[in-house]
Amino acid sequence: MASKVLPQALFITPRSSNQWPPKKLGLSTFPSPRSSSLNLNRLSTSRFSSNSFAFHFRPIVVSPKRFFIVRAEADNEGELGADENTEEEETVSETESEVKLDAEDEAKPPRKPRVKLGDIMGILNKRAIEASEKERPVPDLRTGDIVEIKLEVPENRRRLSIYKGIVISKQNAGIHTTIRVRRIIAGVGVEIVFPVYSPNIKEIKVVNHRKVRRARLYYLRDKLPRLSTFK
Amino acid sequence: MAARFASRLSHVGRSVFGGLGNISSGSLRTSLDSTWNNFLSQQQQRTFIQMRTVLKVVDNSGAKKVMCIQALKGKKGARLGDTIVASVKEAHPNGKVKKGEVVYGVVVRAAMQRGRCDGSEVKFDDNAVVLLDKQGQPRGTRVFGPVPHELRKKKHLKILTLAEHIA
Repeated sequence: MASKVLPQALFITPRSSNQWPPKKLGLSTFPSPRSSSLNLNRLSTSRFSSNSFAFHFRPIVVSPKRFFIVRAEADNEGELGADENTEEEETVSETESEVKLDAEDEAKPPRKPRVKLGDIMGILNKRAIEASEKERPVPDLRTGDIVEIKLEVPENRRRLSIYKGIVISKQNAGIHTTIRVRRIIAGVGVEIVFPVYSPNIKEIKVVNHRKVRRARLYYLRDKLPRLSTFK
Repeated sequence: MAARFASRLSHVGRSVFGGLGNISSGSLRTSLDSTWNNFLSQQQQRTFIQMRTVLKVVDNSGAKKVMCIQALKGKKGARLGDTIVASVKEAHPNGKVKKGEVVYGVVVRAAMQRGRCDGSEVKFDDNAVVLLDKQGQPRGTRVFGPVPHELRKKKHLKILTLAEHIA
């Protein structure tokens, strides 16, 4: 183990006199056994402890002791670990992987579930919906419901506009879930798309329900106006 | 109407498939795909009000139908709340406006949906216009049918006060 580590020490110590940032890259491109290079990568991408480790090779003789003490106190911080102490040379070693495993074993029980990339939008949407539900609960809306919506219009801040009509479609998109409401107003058919969780909507009330056998009632556009009229 | 058309399409598709079993499914699938695309795009894609668009006049200025000859703002055409230049195609016999006159108008109802700042969209069933003079004041004294909020931002407050209903 020590013999394998030696060439790494030989490579590192001359370079320690140069600038530090390029050396970090040099660490990762070592012609050393793959496991140790992986360790090096992990080292270069891990936390502050790796920075301090990479920057000061001279005082590293002191720091292993520090790391050892740290490991006793905090599991995660001490991942660079106790085995440094056993090393004569001030380098990374394969034992680091074992130390990391030990640290992880100790840390496993309280570990939080990792958030996957694909779930992030779902989680954000759910949070936004919960926040909006707290302000104003949204009833369960389905196509065919006759609803009455009280809307606050920024231009007409004096009183709330009331929109009544039949829900002809509902598009589910998380926080931008919308319903399309149709009504005949003053002889002309009007369709308005409302985002259900909008803060401008002050109240949604389901007044009635019409039996429909479809999810989207676009056929109402071609039918008699009588079918889209609601008092 | 659309539902009946769709059912007719599906009937045709099924019979054709049964009859031409020898033909490779690839070619048949493409023809079915094209019919499906046609079916899916049965929902009319409403678009802007441009040259040659005929609009209804909803005030009592005397005109009944106008044809747009120029949308004053917008490269693709006029939307809800924009002004247009139009030519009167049909008019009441004794009105202020005669047939063949070139007039200005503001679009008060459009079949194309217009998005609002809060994420809602509004669309009407027809295209309608209110005639204006050069200064932007309405030429009629009454406005029929609903008008949208968007006119407030475009400073057509007189039309809003005359309107029956503000959508």
